[in-house]
Amino acid sequence: MSGVALPLSFFVPLLTALVVFVIGVRRAYGVILLGALTTLAVALYVAYAVAVGGPQVHYLGGWEPPLGVELYADGLSALMLAMTALVGAGVTLYAGPYLRGKGHDGERFWPLWLVQWATLNGTFLSADLFNLYVMLELLTLTAAPLAAMAGDRPSLAAAMRYLLLALLGSMAYLLGVALLYGGTGTLHLREAGELAGAEPYTAVAAALMTAGLFAKAAVFPLHIWLMPAHSNAPAPASAALSALVAKAGLYLVLRLWLWTFPALLSAPMGWLIGGLGAVAVVYGSVQALRQPRLKQVIAYSTIAQLGYLLLLLPLVALPAAAVSAWHGVVLHALAHGFAKAGAFLAAGNMIYCLGHDRLEGLRGVTPYLSVTLLALGLAFVSLMGLPPSGGFLAKWLLLEGALAAGQWFWGGVVLLGGLIAAAYSFRVLALAHAEVPHGYAEIRSPRRLPPAMEWAPLALVLLAYGMLLGGVPILELLDQGAPEGVR
Amino acid sequence: MTEWAFDALLAGGLLGLAWQIVASRVLFRSVVLFIVFGLLMAVTWARLHAPDLALAEAAIGAGITGALLLSAYRAFLSRRGTDPGPPPVFPRWAAVGVAALVGALVGGIGWVVVGLEPPEQTAGREALAHLAISGVENPVTAVLLNFRSIDTLSEVVVLFVAFLAARVVAQDLAHAGPGDWLRASRNEPVLVQPLIAFIAPMTVLAAGYLLWSGEHQPGGAFQAGAVLAALGVLLRLTGRLRPTSEPSLAERLSLVGGVVLFSAIGLAGAGVASAVLAYPEGWEYELILLVETALTIAIALPLVLLFSGSGGLRREVR
Repeated sequence: MSGVALPLSFFVPLLTALVVFVIGVRRAYGVILLGALTTLAVALYVAYAVAVGGPQVHYLGGWEPPLGVELYADGLSALMLAMTALVGAGVTLYAGPYLRGKGHDGERFWPLWLVQWATLNGTFLSADLFNLYVMLELLTLTAAPLAAMAGDRPSLAAAMRYLLLALLGSMAYLLGVALLYGGTGTLHLREAGELAGAEPYTAVAAALMTAGLFAKAAVFPLHIWLMPAHSNAPAPASAALSALVAKAGLYLVLRLWLWTFPALLSAPMGWLIGGLGAVAVVYGSVQALRQPRLKQVIAYSTIAQLGYLLLLLPLVALPAAAVSAWHGVVLHALAHGFAKAGAFLAAGNMIYCLGHDRLEGLRGVTPYLSVTLLALGLAFVSLMGLPPSGGFLAKWLLLEGALAAGQWFWGGVVLLGGLIAAAYSFRVLALAHAEVPHGYAEIRSPRRLPPAMEWAPLALVLLAYGMLLGGVPILELLDQGAPEGVR
Repeated sequence: MTEWAFDALLAGGLLGLAWQIVASRVLFRSVVLFIVFGLLMAVTWARLHAPDLALAEAAIGAGITGALLLSAYRAFLSRRGTDPGPPPVFPRWAAVGVAALVGALVGGIGWVVVGLEPPEQTAGREALAHLAISGVENPVTAVLLNFRSIDTLSEVVVLFVAFLAARVVAQDLAHAGPGDWLRASRNEPVLVQPLIAFIAPMTVLAAGYLLWSGEHQPGGAFQAGAVLAALGVLLRLTGRLRPTSEPSLAERLSLVGGVVLFSAIGLAGAGVASAVLAYPEGWEYELILLVETALTIAIALPLVLLFSGSGGLRREVR
């Protein structure tokens, strides 16, 4: 019966969204909180069930694949689901006061965000390539209006650019799925992999699907939409988009290459995809160093941090590196989710209080926003990969794997990315802790932060540190249903 | 020989139209040609023995999409006062580069597809084999509403989300959609009222027929919803429906009712049948028809509202 939790993690947030839309946000705030808490409980239950009983399966409609759609939760799905639920709960708590205070339209935000949450859960659970296409479409269509929420010219242009690129990505993905179905006769993720092997049509399908997902996940060189879209969205939307939505695309890339196309994962292919990841790490970090606004820094940091996830593909084929790299990359996805969501919410607090997020204007802000700055600082520490953060654990494992297999190049990329991350982090933190320039009146915080907004970022960031304590059970959960080479 | 000639004509027509749509310097011309393209595409689907797709393409691809494009074009006009003029010129070398890349891609995919050996066992054959226990006789409906109903449910959520997205970027009502709302007045041409009095019930009848016949022949909720939406477009254009900025309670209920009902029946399936989205044995046909009826409304309403460019619609008595 535990299998019912899998569809519930899709239906609970979806139905909450629809109820909220019908009865209106003013009367439905309790419903929103109840829906978010239920979703969190369901997600944690799925993680528990997987940890205790191994991978969970639910055939929707009772039809087994290839006829029907299968929901499947292994350790990877369960962890992503739980991370999404924790970040989602934080975003939900934060968004209420933020939207009220900034005058954003909650009547649109809440249904969009709750449908997006449902879709994220669906993406992590679905084991059907076409169903995943529908989920990807829903992700894009909820993300674009959230990015356009501010309604001014830059955010509209950014959302439009995102929409067009993401739709192009969807088309490429769908074309790949069609090819794969034409060759194998099934849409099931693992079955198609078993039937496909390394043939010309699988190679073309893999290329199309990967390229499509790269557009959705802003992998270099298809990253151009991410910075404007994520930095112009309202802070809670930025947090969800950066920590969860873009990552869902990369989650699928890893899922496809490890479960469906392992036969195609040759050394040159691994180097090509890993190389794109490495370029993203360096390019995103360097760009983050040059941005004048805090949210732009954090958005470019997302491009860099997502690049690390691709470093798995060149390492996973090497037996000496595979297990550590796999553990490191998944932990990185989790730690980045918590830290990035916390950082964006903290930046939202700056905007809420100061009315802007220009780095130069952050001087002297310390005494007023101390909790927020603590959250921002701790988030940056995790993004750099310093102990005792989850980011440290992830990068350590990744580095250990790379060096154990003698892959100095990939180890160097991890170290270099961490160094530049330190540079852009300290640039922000130094300005925030700087004295007010001589001759300027001391700035005063014009608005007090509501408690939910003050503490939500810190709570999320602390989860990234809690990962260090929970490292062993997390990795044991991850081993449930992991493919052969990485157990 | 005639079949071959017909196919060649279709393929040539599609390519020629596509070229004209992309190459035309006049936006309005491109929009109209795109509608023609949709109709030709519908004929092509029919020729490929996919009548369900042909119906959907004609109703949604050519019909509603065309209306939406024209509505967007009209919004352009009222903003600028003139035709938006020729689009910005793309550098020739870049255009050639992109064309070469896309050509290579299409060629590569085509080469792979031609060499593809169709598998023995496919999900499609499975669906045909299980048709008898699906509760309906049309295999497409069986797949959409029974075997893979989660996809259909999510697609209707897509429409709902598209409506919300349009609301996020919405303009004020005066510039919305097909332009200022004009009350249907005594000055309107004398044939409008009798025509609507004839067309409206006929359209509802046609939508109902499409919905009902989807059980055993081509048709179903999407086609019926698109036909109903066409009626909405007509009533909006002739001033019988007045745009409002926010949806009323009844409209909000209709927008989400289909998905809520579908989800409720689906979740109940975990208790009374084997799994979520499973129908209890013996009730498949009745429940599928019920769900499809609710979905038809949930498909038609967002389409009309997208065309109207408004949050809601109100009936206007002349």
